[in-house]
Amino acid sequence: MADVLSVGVNLEAFAQAISAIQALRSSVSRVFDCLKDGMRNKETLEGREKAFIAHFQDNLHSVNRDLNELERLSNLVGKPSENHPLHNSGLLSLDPVQDKTPLYSQLLQAYKWSNKLQYHAGLASGLLNQQSLKRSANQMGVSAKRRPKAQPTTLVLPPQYVDDVISRIDRMFPEMSIHLSRPNGTSAMLLVTLGKVLKVIVVMRSLFIDRTIVKGYNENVYTEDGKLDIWSKSNYQVFQKVTDHATTALLHYQLPQMPDVVVRSFMMSPCWMRTVNSPLLPQTCKGTTSYRNRCLVIAVVAPVSVAAVLSP
Amino acid sequence: MTSPEASPRSVSQMPVAEGKSVQQTVELLTRKLEMLGAEKQGTFCVDCETYHTAASTLGSQGQAGKLMYVMHNSEYPLSCFALFENGPCLIADTNFDVLMVKLKGFFQSAKASKIETRGTRYQYCDFLVKVGTVTMGPSARGISVEVEYGPCVVASDCWNLLLEFLQSFLGSHTPGAPAVFGNRHDAVYGPADTMAQYMELFNKIRKQQQVPVAGIR
Repeated sequence: MADVLSVGVNLEAFAQAISAIQALRSSVSRVFDCLKDGMRNKETLEGREKAFIAHFQDNLHSVNRDLNELERLSNLVGKPSENHPLHNSGLLSLDPVQDKTPLYSQLLQAYKWSNKLQYHAGLASGLLNQQSLKRSANQMGVSAKRRPKAQPTTLVLPPQYVDDVISRIDRMFPEMSIHLSRPNGTSAMLLVTLGKVLKVIVVMRSLFIDRTIVKGYNENVYTEDGKLDIWSKSNYQVFQKVTDHATTALLHYQLPQMPDVVVRSFMMSPCWMRTVNSPLLPQTCKGTTSYRNRCLVIAVVAPVSVAAVLSP
Repeated sequence: MTSPEASPRSVSQMPVAEGKSVQQTVELLTRKLEMLGAEKQGTFCVDCETYHTAASTLGSQGQAGKLMYVMHNSEYPLSCFALFENGPCLIADTNFDVLMVKLKGFFQSAKASKIETRGTRYQYCDFLVKVGTVTMGPSARGISVEVEYGPCVVASDCWNLLLEFLQSFLGSHTPGAPAVFGNRHDAVYGPADTMAQYMELFNKIRKQQQVPVAGIR
């Protein structure tokens, strides 16, 4: 029980208080015995009365003494500890049916867990705030009143403009072909095919890149309905890793005012181009040991690209 | 219709270890694979029957009869492959077997020619490894090892990676690059290439002497 340690200092007083209660009980019962017994047989009536009264008074005094003793000891024992983490719910710990409904211990566990969670969440938010991933044009710290009222215009671009930008990028590289479609409203979905190595599905929101999925050349990118499948991941671990790196790249390249530069940089980033010029699946590289690392040698290439500074 | 794509595979033969039987060598290999971390994923079977052109169809020039191989692969359960030694490969559906019966006049089955390999498939990351015992009739004649690298489609891109992986568990028995890999750079690999490799392997094993059964299994 959690209370044992906090009351430990007064355990002696506790024990003494319990024996004081027993003493009090016995003196009270002696009083009633005396009354029950009545007057003892003496020569004169006065003598009998006096003896009875004296006896009765003795018993009452002893009751008084024991009661005072008990009060003194109970003050020493003090109140139960205030260290209950759950205050009133801590009284649940006194429930004798501990095995069947371990409410108190479960409550304590839940409380400790939520405390830890809060602490970790605080740490994580501190770390995450250092790397700002907000891609909006508004700056942080500017109060709502001073923020410009007008909506950012880069979010509402005519689809024709988006088409033009994409077709211009399409013509940049011979091995890369981009196919644009709009199956779900105005957001463009690009299917980029890179040589015979991989296919990339890029979901856009006007000219901002929202998500990408990288799949192998031989994998099916369409659902059974014939629509572009933008959700299922690749079956191969290599391409799952490349998807992660591509997502990092698209979060890294941020220029809220000039989204077409961002798109061009994303397409040109070494993330893709290295894979075409020298094959994605690498030549023997000495010095690494496990196959996981070698299959995923793009993991070596892509962080270098992501760390590169964007040059408009 | 576009030609079918498949992930490049390397089919090779693993020589039986000295002083051990075929079964024991297969067990050695599979244990090595499991220690590497591969997961078992079912079984596979590739079989091959030989047919030769019937004498009646041979022209007066006395040209030698060609050998045709009809193969099945459990990876493509609904297909049947028919190939000539250096010639084209036909990919048909399973009714082709029935058709061969009807073509008895032109193609006759060579006696006792059925050769097959059966074994387990292992998946390790993006690699698929199949280790099988090659049997001809009742006797085990050798061991076939096939390694496939899933994400790739062009053979020449990933041969080096396949080679390294093979070296890790075959050690000194690692094969050289298969002929089909070197033929066409940047060409898309297909199932016909796999069956061609199996055909070469089976022919090689047929010509080998029977593996002496040494020791108790």
